[in-house]
Amino acid sequence: MSRTRQQRLRPRTRGSSDVRMRSGFILIAIVLSFFGARLVQLQGLDPREYAAMAAADGSVTVTLPAERGDILDRNGEPLADSAAGLMVIADPALTAPRATELAKFLSTRLAVDYFRTLERLRVEDSRYQYIARQVPARIVSTVIDEARARASDAAEQALEAERDGDEEALAELEEIADAYNGLSTERDPVRVYPAGDVAANLVGFLGTPNPDGSAKPSAGFESMFNSYLAGTDGETSYQVGAGNKIPLGDSTIVEPTDGRDLVTTIDRDLQFFTQRIVRQTVRQSGGESGIGVVMDTRTGDILALADDPTYDLNKPDEASEDDYKSRAMTDVYEPGSVEKVLTVAGLIDAGKVTNRTRLLVPGRLDRQDRSIGDYFDHGLLRLTLAGVIAKSSNIGTVLAADKFEDGQLRDYLTRFGLGQRTNIGVGGETAGLLPDDSMWTSQTQDRIAFGQSLSVNAVQMTAAVNTIANDGVRIDPSLIKGSATTDEGTEVGTDVATTRRVVSDDAAHQTMLMMERVLDPEEGVAPGAAVPGYRVAGKTGTAQRVGEECGCYDGTFTVSFAGFAPADDPRFTVYVVVQDPTNGGGGGSVAGPAFSRIMSYALRRYAVPPTGTPASRLPVEWR
Amino acid sequence: MSSPAPATVRSRLSTQGRGLAGAAVERARLTVVPRRRTRAPKVPFVTLVSLLLLAGVVGLLLFNTSMQQASFTTTALQERATNLAAREQALEMELEELRDPQRLAAEAQRRFGMEPAGAPLFLSLESGKVTGERGEPAERLDLVPDQPTRPGVLDPAPIVTTVFGDVPADQVAHQPGQPGQPGQSGNRDDTARGNGQGRGETGRTGSQQQQQSQEQQQGQQQQRSPR
Repeated sequence: MSRTRQQRLRPRTRGSSDVRMRSGFILIAIVLSFFGARLVQLQGLDPREYAAMAAADGSVTVTLPAERGDILDRNGEPLADSAAGLMVIADPALTAPRATELAKFLSTRLAVDYFRTLERLRVEDSRYQYIARQVPARIVSTVIDEARARASDAAEQALEAERDGDEEALAELEEIADAYNGLSTERDPVRVYPAGDVAANLVGFLGTPNPDGSAKPSAGFESMFNSYLAGTDGETSYQVGAGNKIPLGDSTIVEPTDGRDLVTTIDRDLQFFTQRIVRQTVRQSGGESGIGVVMDTRTGDILALADDPTYDLNKPDEASEDDYKSRAMTDVYEPGSVEKVLTVAGLIDAGKVTNRTRLLVPGRLDRQDRSIGDYFDHGLLRLTLAGVIAKSSNIGTVLAADKFEDGQLRDYLTRFGLGQRTNIGVGGETAGLLPDDSMWTSQTQDRIAFGQSLSVNAVQMTAAVNTIANDGVRIDPSLIKGSATTDEGTEVGTDVATTRRVVSDDAAHQTMLMMERVLDPEEGVAPGAAVPGYRVAGKTGTAQRVGEECGCYDGTFTVSFAGFAPADDPRFTVYVVVQDPTNGGGGGSVAGPAFSRIMSYALRRYAVPPTGTPASRLPVEWR
Repeated sequence: MSSPAPATVRSRLSTQGRGLAGAAVERARLTVVPRRRTRAPKVPFVTLVSLLLLAGVVGLLLFNTSMQQASFTTTALQERATNLAAREQALEMELEELRDPQRLAAEAQRRFGMEPAGAPLFLSLESGKVTGERGEPAERLDLVPDQPTRPGVLDPAPIVTTVFGDVPADQVAHQPGQPGQPGQSGNRDDTARGNGQGRGETGRTGSQQQQQSQEQQQGQQQQRSPR
């Protein structure tokens, strides 16, 4: 009786609690199984990513930029310099509603174009737009500070508006605050070229940086020695709270390795002066382009390497891209009569002639394939070898060069460094052209003897003439002081420059005495190249030029003058080349005066006293 | 079972040394000592511990605060250092710009009327002799920079359209003699000076115009001939 009642009672009470319990347990199990699944997902599937995400939350990684090395002249004056700079970035998602106001704000302060800025502030589906790049840090920080101030003002006013319940004003003010907060900055180093166009063709420039912020070298040393100059960026990461580093938080640091300075052998002031003289010469003669090289005779250091036309490194866009290269290194031309001094130096060294050797020079010389003439009409002349050089007679040189044995001239010219790259660290250097043995015929030799049918670059030729100035020992020219490694892996610089004897001391001396006669007011062809007070040895060159279009001599000329002073104790070798002068001038009248001014400046700048010895009086004619 | 053994022990002891054993037995007979209750005062200990804890917590808090403060200062100072470094660099750049040889040369020539020096004289301190030749001051340096080359977009080739129409004979005859026409080589800087005809040909040379007129006439003839 009591049992049945109990049974009747129980199912009701026990059943309901069971149901509750069970459903409760099931619920808990479901929830727990979710947790379990999540746990498996977090710990089992990709724990690393989540760990990284956890670590990244609240921690900041900052790149520690390596400072790009400077490019300096021989006295430490900067030719290229790095400065801290910033870029201004906008987030169009925030800035678009207030684009006009912001564009006005930015264009008045950052010297950016209003309309372009406006466009960028309104770009759709973008959260990252450059507004200005490579702006000095000081200017940018002022502008950004002002933007932040405006944003916080607007935010304060928005709070007030909220209190007042002014919905419209609130929305507007919030928009303004967002817009100004949509501007941010990032590091964007500025490369400045304080000397403008001085040594521009050698130094080169950095273009607009790559999207990842790395420098994009566009020409010259900047490109050739990019990895040497660039250094390696470092990195630091630390935890932050409210914009400040948390004192005992995790932090790691990898120090950056700064780029190294590239010290050149260029003398900035001399380079400037040479460039101006070359430009003036090219302008006055109506030439196409010009080159000026100044070399230290004793060390082979190139003190100036001027190209014209050139360009301003700070405004490369204003010049044609063809002017970026260094013509002195990349363009070849036929040296003309300047090469005669190499021929006669070789002849004297080989013991075939002396500077007093007597030659009978006819008005025309018929050779195998054609007849050779001189630039001036003459009958039969009785010239000494010195006279041949002083008057720049092609016929006389050819007659003298006949005394060479087979292959001897080519051998000498090779040892003078023609036909081989100088490898001084300028990109795109041409080796020039010295016909090889198989192409070397007696006709070729005739023309090569007076500087046609072979081509050189200006630095090669300067180094070759410098050999005579340096008592017959050729010194490798160098443009880098010490040593530096190019991106191609070649080590260049004064440390790796070598010397070799090409002709004897005596041969060099005899050649020098002949070259001095070139500047003689009565006997020589280039009195305009003389430097008052100093003994100067030099040689003119007026060469027929091969036109680019026809690939033949097109009636234009390359005029040049190479020389050194003081003749009996040389300190500098200067070489001036003007391509295609249209005023009808030759090496003596166009390049000679430019040589004189550059040489005179160099001697004065380095305080080289005159030697005070009497000038060479070698006879130029004989009876 | 147990009684004989102590008896033998005792008898043995009694023979060897009663005094020592007696003392040991006496000592072994331990009694419970009443517990001595010393109640150390609790308060100082609790206070001490509390103080230590409090000092620790407060110290830690102060230490943290001061560290945080130092961190703020670090950030502020770093920012200042960055700004100052940027300023220094800006000033250095300015200095370098002022030292630019091009600027110096221009300044020297224009403002002070300086000229490049001629050849100098040398005084030898040993012999007291003066060597060298005094040269005349050299020619002034030409410091006018090259004109920037215009990009092709900004400097397009002139568009020449041949207009077919009746040109009065007298106008054709007069055009080559128009003032301001001969010797003009470009159409860059002369757009303001026109020939008064309003045809946008202001920069063309007379010969070009003549040529065009001829072309026009030829065009007219060609047009006429099919008719």
